[in-house]
Amino acid sequence: MKRPNSRLIVVGSLLLVAVALLILNASGFLQPLQNLGMRPVTSIQTWFAVRYSALRDLLASPRDVAALREEINRLEAENARLEQEIISLREQASEAETLSALLNYARSQPENRYLAANVIGRDVSPFIRSILINQGSDNGLAKGMPVVTARGLVGRIVEVFASYARIQLITDPDTAVNVRFQDARTEGILTAELNGDLIVDLIDLNANLTQGELVLTSGLGGKYPSNIPVGQVTSIRRRDFDLFQTATIQPSVDFEELNIVLVITNFQPIILESSSP
Amino acid sequence: MAYLLGIPLLVGLAILQSSLLGSFRFIDGRPDLVLLAVIGWALAGGKTEAMVWGLIGGSLLDMFSELPFGSSAIILILVAYLVSLYEGRVWEAHLLMPLGITLLGSLAYHFWFLAVLFLMGRTIDLNFALGRVILPSLFLNVILALPASQLLIGLRRRLFPPELEI
Repeated sequence: MKRPNSRLIVVGSLLLVAVALLILNASGFLQPLQNLGMRPVTSIQTWFAVRYSALRDLLASPRDVAALREEINRLEAENARLEQEIISLREQASEAETLSALLNYARSQPENRYLAANVIGRDVSPFIRSILINQGSDNGLAKGMPVVTARGLVGRIVEVFASYARIQLITDPDTAVNVRFQDARTEGILTAELNGDLIVDLIDLNANLTQGELVLTSGLGGKYPSNIPVGQVTSIRRRDFDLFQTATIQPSVDFEELNIVLVITNFQPIILESSSP
Repeated sequence: MAYLLGIPLLVGLAILQSSLLGSFRFIDGRPDLVLLAVIGWALAGGKTEAMVWGLIGGSLLDMFSELPFGSSAIILILVAYLVSLYEGRVWEAHLLMPLGITLLGSLAYHFWFLAVLFLMGRTIDLNFALGRVILPSLFLNVILALPASQLLIGLRRRLFPPELEI
């Protein structure tokens, strides 16, 4: 009888600690400790994420695998050492390619200042679509800063720690982005379904949308700068008895393949407490 | 000793869960490595230690998530406690018992997070959550339960060999 009782005391004490952590975090007292604790973890995670991403790129490309196999056969004696070298070189090449594209993008938008960051992880909850980057308040990042790649809008920073930050993706169901259609010159609100599909709602019923039309941020609401590509229209739902039409959007960013992102550091977002766009 | 082993193991599993498993998915489900470690260690006999692992592992997971800090810790401690309620004899005789325990533990784990998300005011679609996330995650957890529990039982036996009566 004694053992279950002592176990009950242990579970009770641990639950108390967990609830205390919950309360301390909610009141913001835990952040310094979290910053301290996450610093080494972020370094390990960055190391791991960069190598994993290089390895994934290597395995994902059939041509690369074939070339690699050939090389492995040819240089079997030096196999282990060369494999490491190939992975490392490909990692650098892939990173340089991405950075070059990002640099071109940054040059095309001289009014913005950017900070490049590596994606080091994703939210561990499958219900939340957010990513972690290896730059934080130490590098001048702040909550609300928009995040892009050369292809388009990724999301915005929702939480900042000393050495890392969390970005809420535009595919998260809690996100809403004010957008406009490039050709139809009309606006709408982009939201995400639970499965990550993007929908633009509240589009004027008289607007003439076309498939493949580019969707850009409108800048309304002050959360995102204007004219960042978001995606292309894949289908339109227009019914005469509805007040608005809706459009399904194919995002321009491949959210599964995000390795490096750019944070727009000179944009001053308007942060409201409510989740309205 | 179990805590010395637990901390780096849980740090590693939490990083793995955030980095590697972020893109390794079955439908939209992912295996819950920290949960499997906590259940596995409790099944291996480290019942009180598993609860502490729950607190440490849960806190680590919460650092990688938008979920409120402490929420994963609470459910992992509770799951470890529930596993500890049953004395070891039952599943020592049944090899497949870890599967049932993992199934129940995973269900409790995911429904807890649905409740937390609901309290956070997030949109919850139960059909989507069950069909695309929870059931695939349960499937992956159950598949990994047996090797995980056997690995941890083996590890515990190696670290804490049972005392022999002479």
